[in-house]
Amino acid sequence: MDLHALMPPLMFLALVAFLLSGYPVAFALGAVGMVFGFLGIALDLFPPALLQAMPDRIFGIMSNQLLLAIPFFTLMGILLEKSGLAEDLLDTMGRLFGPLRGGLALSVVFVGAILAATTGVVAASVMAMGLISLPVMLKYGYNPRFASGVILGSATLAQIIPPSVVLIVLSDQLGVSVGDMYKAALIPSLATVALYFLYVVYVALVHPHWAPALPKEARPEAGKEAGAAFALLSYLLVGVGAWRLGGFLHLPGWLEGLEVLLALFLWTLFLLPWIRKNPLLKRALLSMVPPLVLIFLVLGTVLIGLATPTEAGAMGVVGALVLAALNRRLSFRVLYQAMEGTAKLTAFVVFILIGSTLFSLVFRGVDGDLWVEGFFTGLPGGEVGFILFVMLLVFLLGFFIDFFEIAFIALPLLAIGAEALGIDKLWFGLLVGVNLQTSFLTPPFGFALFYLRNVAPKEVKTADIYLGGVPFIALQLVVLVLVYFLREPILNLVYSGFGG
Amino acid sequence: MRFLLGLSRAIDALTEGVGRAVVWLVLLVALLSAGNAILRYGFRYSSNAYLEAQWYLFSLIFLLGGAYALKHNAHVRIDLIYGRFPPRTRAWIDVVGTVLFLLPMALGVLYLSWPWVMNSISVREVSPDAGGLPRWPIKLAVPIGFALLALQGISELIKRIAYLTGQYALAEEEEKEVA
Amino acid sequence: QATPTIRWRLASSFPKSLDTIFGAAEVLADRVSALTGGRFQIRPYQAGEIVPGLQVMDAVQQGTVEVGHTASYYFVGKAQVLAYDTSVPFGLTARQQNAWMYYGGGLELFRSIFADFGIIQFPGGNTGVQMGGWFRREIRGLSDLKGLKMRIPGPGGQVMSRLGVVPQVLAAGDIYPALERGTIDATEWVGPYDDEKLGFYKVAKYYYYPGWHEPGPQLSFYVNLREWQRLPKEYQQAFEAAAAEANLAMLAKYDQVNPPALQRLLKAGVRLRKWPNEIMQAAQKAAFEWYEEEAAKDATYRKVYTAWKAFRQEQYRWFAVAELGYEQFALPTA
Ligand code: NA
Ligand code: NA
Repeated sequence: MDLHALMPPLMFLALVAFLLSGYPVAFALGAVGMVFGFLGIALDLFPPALLQAMPDRIFGIMSNQLLLAIPFFTLMGILLEKSGLAEDLLDTMGRLFGPLRGGLALSVVFVGAILAATTGVVAASVMAMGLISLPVMLKYGYNPRFASGVILGSATLAQIIPPSVVLIVLSDQLGVSVGDMYKAALIPSLATVALYFLYVVYVALVHPHWAPALPKEARPEAGKEAGAAFALLSYLLVGVGAWRLGGFLHLPGWLEGLEVLLALFLWTLFLLPWIRKNPLLKRALLSMVPPLVLIFLVLGTVLIGLATPTEAGAMGVVGALVLAALNRRLSFRVLYQAMEGTAKLTAFVVFILIGSTLFSLVFRGVDGDLWVEGFFTGLPGGEVGFILFVMLLVFLLGFFIDFFEIAFIALPLLAIGAEALGIDKLWFGLLVGVNLQTSFLTPPFGFALFYLRNVAPKEVKTADIYLGGVPFIALQLVVLVLVYFLREPILNLVYSGFGG
Repeated sequence: MRFLLGLSRAIDALTEGVGRAVVWLVLLVALLSAGNAILRYGFRYSSNAYLEAQWYLFSLIFLLGGAYALKHNAHVRIDLIYGRFPPRTRAWIDVVGTVLFLLPMALGVLYLSWPWVMNSISVREVSPDAGGLPRWPIKLAVPIGFALLALQGISELIKRIAYLTGQYALAEEEEKEVA
Repeated sequence: QATPTIRWRLASSFPKSLDTIFGAAEVLADRVSALTGGRFQIRPYQAGEIVPGLQVMDAVQQGTVEVGHTASYYFVGKAQVLAYDTSVPFGLTARQQNAWMYYGGGLELFRSIFADFGIIQFPGGNTGVQMGGWFRREIRGLSDLKGLKMRIPGPGGQVMSRLGVVPQVLAAGDIYPALERGTIDATEWVGPYDDEKLGFYKVAKYYYYPGWHEPGPQLSFYVNLREWQRLPKEYQQAFEAAAAEANLAMLAKYDQVNPPALQRLLKAGVRLRKWPNEIMQAAQKAAFEWYEEEAAKDATYRKVYTAWKAFRQEQYRWFAVAELGYEQFALPTA
């Protein structure tokens, strides 16, 4: 019997068994690596010195500055929650959308998309929305499963809407431009948000008790919603218009920002009489200011060239601190709790990476990568067969390993197949990127599930979280099919040279 | 057992002390990173030393904070099955997991990282980039972090065994369901 | 037992997407296998598969892998002198580096240095003169460099910092967006073929040449010394021959792919600019001041630097005659 060939599948089986034991994921992963490491040495599949790569691999994780985004955005999220600022926003959004069934869910998707446009890590979005939105939705009688699903789905938007750590890693691995990848991601991003909206509307129509409208007593400003919504829409138009004008005039970044602020200020003066008459509008405007300041700090500082995408997370932290202090909600206790929560989350996330890096080192040592590669050589069906198979493989791998491992283990091998068949690497990377979104939501190993479990109230069962994500996995797969058929428009958008 | 529980308390105190210091690094690294951006933008001043200090601090957070997270049961678990077990079974799983999963990994990395750190110290390794920081101190944090993790693992082991033999009551945090 | 079956692992410092550089490791592996009837197998792994790219020296030193393919100047943090095994600002061109390594005593000098790390090294490819990098604004003189924020690692960054540039080493994924938005003003990479793939031309129009900071960067194969000594003589010979071929093949490949890539970049609107003389002169002066400082601090560095400097002077004198004389007449100006 060829033990050598049996090792990779055995490792996968052991991984599932160890993870299901319920012992912390990080050490279960590492233990599979250790056990098979000793087996591999005993069977003379690799020299003991191969394990010596571990400190080198840990050092690679330490010096990966992109991972700094994890503590930054986590701290920012917790501060937003503790300071009551995000709560105000979601609350106000809830009142705006409140008269509608499914209104809270719509506001979560909306806020999720906004957060996604400012952060590149799913962790941050799950934390922020799980801490902020889930309790609110439960309080007003939402179905816990649906509520969890909406949050999970909206949070994973963070990795398909630029900026995105996933897209950066994929571009890096495939050797395509990060900028091109961001542009290519625009169509699937919009498609995903649109599908989420439609799904929420569908649920509100078919299962009204899953997503009830806010009761009248929760809406002291009942009747003012439409007016407030129109006024807010006008702000959006003025803001975008001012920004486009700045771009048209080729203003430098900081001047462009100033110009937009001025336009919004003047518009506020113009609307002042109306604002005085509509308390909901006043409330909405006031609660919009802090998130807008933060969006400026996180997105704006990148756009005007003040900060790198990684540093922008730190700018967001400083902004959240200042805003919480202005809101008189920043106590020593709040600050310490936020920092402690961040330290613990950072430790457990990075230890999972450390565990999985030990697993994949040994997996490579027993030639698990060749075992995976062997799959491809015998594939029927040309390009369609290849893509179908790759998408299925990435989807299935996503159940067990995280996107970093998929990007680093599987993608280089898949890219060889794509290149041989003459498939555009950018489009291929985009397909993988959209597909990888599901890996955050598929049990047993889905990062988004872990994060949400960590912050969700006890009355939300683990099964609710796991099953709640299923419809959103389905929606993401619909977008995947869409990207497959929209190959030409997407590539034209990127290569037509706009913005170049 | 009394001696062992005393040892466990001592380890817990060490982990708690290190952890409370590490918590502040979270704020420090955010302020440093934001400061880097502002200095570079406003004063066209920057240095690789500050940029590297960012990931040095980040590394210290998880290397030194790993044991603290273990003490507070913050390492994520898949509780599909684990969550349905009674507390005693969960304690058993933790005992077996600590002996078979955590300790081999922590001691393994500790053992593997030692010659690697010594190589770095012997050449007084520094950053390859202009104005960068010495490298060996941050490499030294790897064995220190994993040693702390192994120690905390031993403490958790003692507490679980004491619990199973009826000599210790697990605090709520130590057995709370986290996934 | 003269021809045992041997399997080695090779850790590259480079991703497969840098196909020309990574390709040199594949040439080595294919040739060694062919020359030994398939009995000596080397399997190349890209950066990150076994160890991260910048950890290759540690990995070979400790025997994690038997072979590494890397650039020695990544490891100047261990010993500054290692830069000369790759390239230093205003150093040797690819041909001159080969001359120094194969026949000018360079290889032996470095063998004694690498032996202290338990490594034996072989030249393993060269990119030729690199490009100076991508700049968002035109650089007309030294004053334009003051406070300029540039992503430039290693020895090039050392010299640039002496000219008032603020060298920044950013995470790989941060480089493009930072350059696009002006968080940094410039970045260097390799040359037209590799630079084109990263798309820097879309966000920074000025493309400077020549890359005086890396005039002929040599890649190196590192072999764990104990493993090397245990290798049968025939396999050692096969390895040496294959490494020499890989060294040649990579340079030839770059010379083939760079010209059309540069034409494509120019067609996309890239503005090609030559470094102003003022900057080149100041950079050269700063570079040699820095070398002298390092030489005063460290005996090994002094030994290599002295030998290198003498060899360089001799080479320059010769290349200024036939080579330069011909090229000045025959080559069209950019
Ligand atoms: Na995003
Ligand atoms: Na998953």
